[in-house]
Amino acid sequence: MTDTAAKTPVLEIRNLHARIEEREILKGVNLVIPQGEVHAIMGRNGSGKSTLSYVLAGKEDYEITEGEILLNGESILEMEPAERAAAGIFLAFQYPIEIPGVATMTFLKAAINAQRKARGEGELSTPDFMRAVKEAGAQLNVDSAMLKRPLNVGFSGGEKKRAEIMQMALLKPSLAVLDETDSGLDIDALQVVSKGVNALRDGKRSMLVITHYQRLLNHIVPDVVHVFSDGRIVESGDKDLALQLEAKGYADYDGQAA
Amino acid sequence: MRPAFPVRLGIAEETLIAQLKAAGADQIAERVTVAGLPTRRVEAYHYTDLKTLLRTIPPLAQPANEATGTALRVAGAYTLSIVNGVVQNAATAPEGVIVGKTHGGVLTHRDDTLVGISNGLTKEALSLDLKGAIGQVIQIDHRIEGEAAHVADATKIFVADDSSVVILETFSGSDAAHVGNHASYIALGKNAVVTHVTVDLGSRSTSHFATNEYHLGDGAQLRTLVVHAGSGLARTHLFPRMEGAGAHADVTGLNLVAEGQHSDITMETTHAVPHTSSQPLFKSITRGRSKAVVQGKLIVARDAQKTDAKFMHQGLMLSDDAEILSKPELEIYADDVVCGHGSTCGKLDDDSLFYLLSRGIPKAEAETMLVRGFIAELIDPIEDEALNEALQGIVDGWLLGDH
Repeated sequence: MTDTAAKTPVLEIRNLHARIEEREILKGVNLVIPQGEVHAIMGRNGSGKSTLSYVLAGKEDYEITEGEILLNGESILEMEPAERAAAGIFLAFQYPIEIPGVATMTFLKAAINAQRKARGEGELSTPDFMRAVKEAGAQLNVDSAMLKRPLNVGFSGGEKKRAEIMQMALLKPSLAVLDETDSGLDIDALQVVSKGVNALRDGKRSMLVITHYQRLLNHIVPDVVHVFSDGRIVESGDKDLALQLEAKGYADYDGQAA
Repeated sequence: MRPAFPVRLGIAEETLIAQLKAAGADQIAERVTVAGLPTRRVEAYHYTDLKTLLRTIPPLAQPANEATGTALRVAGAYTLSIVNGVVQNAATAPEGVIVGKTHGGVLTHRDDTLVGISNGLTKEALSLDLKGAIGQVIQIDHRIEGEAAHVADATKIFVADDSSVVILETFSGSDAAHVGNHASYIALGKNAVVTHVTVDLGSRSTSHFATNEYHLGDGAQLRTLVVHAGSGLARTHLFPRMEGAGAHADVTGLNLVAEGQHSDITMETTHAVPHTSSQPLFKSITRGRSKAVVQGKLIVARDAQKTDAKFMHQGLMLSDDAEILSKPELEIYADDVVCGHGSTCGKLDDDSLFYLLSRGIPKAEAETMLVRGFIAELIDPIEDEALNEALQGIVDGWLLGDH
């Protein structure tokens, strides 16, 4: 077990098909992300990139019709979203949800402790929790004024994304899925967010970075780039593939997947 | 409008008429004899037809032998009790509080059957004269003990100019088919700041009726919070009256209803003079087959220019079988006012729920967080920490199915 553990990829997706209502969106996704690697998925809008992120996180709207998702070697298809989170998946939302009436600190504490409990660990003491939030917040310019507000309420686009990455820093997932984290960010905010993400690259944590534009990948440099088209991965390569895509667009891949 | 022909009276009405006559309340006895209990044809009772809902009226209450003790403890509160309509002797009052009793009912006469019954049957009322900044929460603990009983009790409160106080009224008692008819009259002097919270924690067999009448002088600031979290049938009728320039009322309420329950908050706010404002905000949360009603009427008198009043009712349905009924009404006789109303109704937001789940928060806990978030606007402004916690506890208990 210990021998193979190192070789078990953090994420393995096999021939994944998913649909929403009658419409098939994922049409046979195959993807392996080894431990510590950062993979990028690029594709045009509507290609199914965000669906893949939701399916990984366990959103109920999607029906998996075929295939398998393994997280650290274990199937997660039967797991509830909260169980998946405790097992190590974190989804940074493209549009983080505003939840009026729920204090950010209350939420963070509930999330951290729920995951610890699910893993059989004790609750974090209040001083330890406060310290962890302060540290993570400092790195991402999330100040105490933001933390005092209800969850994401009244946050600017940049503040929401910084708050997402701060949550990721606190929850320490083994697989982070970043869904269009660059959308709505100006260049300064992009740098803060990227710095925060890069600080969490520790050689063990794996990441799946979903983006429409190459510019994010100048800041978060991926190990592997995949091109997503019509519900599946149609090409994979190193970071230069992203540059080629930026130059030529996605037109070459049209029809290829059909 | 009374019907031209006599209505057929049910057992409840026959009992009620006998009780009213015995108490010497001939006028209201006559009204019930002619018109019966209010039906859906009476606009203010449109969704709470008492003729259908009140099948029996228990005997008038006798003084209680045993007492269960308050259903809601708030640390540091000064507590007064009214048990089976009898005002109990109280401990030494805090500074600025004068406790007394008055005879008879406390409500202003109006075209409303329950108001008439309250005034007709109330023998003695608890009276409070309040002056200065009163730091302690004043709790008035209404209880109906023993066998099923019909109780009319009342409080009459005067808050002096420039004074401030937090008043909590709680309603509870033994598990029997009580009918409680409770009246609160609160007059706020100039610049008085009052928070008035009423919480129904009666048993499922109990029918709870309350009428709260408020008079606000110049610059007075009122926050009311009605919480229905117990009785099978609960109705609170609010009559805030803005009588002085600069007066403002946050009139708020919360119906928490589960299987078989029916809760109704009906408000009629009168803006009688220029430059007053009110912000009525009500929420209803339903579970099982249940019914929640909120009716809100804003009346702006002819000279009451610059009135600013917005009514809002938000419903949250945690089951498919519940009904939430909402009826805003505006009756505006002035021409330079800002008045509005709104109503929303929905389930817990799927996207919000998924967001919390995706962070590892289990479903039941996530739902609780969202429900707490939904009503935070009502509970958060209650600044007294112990009271705030007690109210939060009621909501949490309800979510766990305790009430």
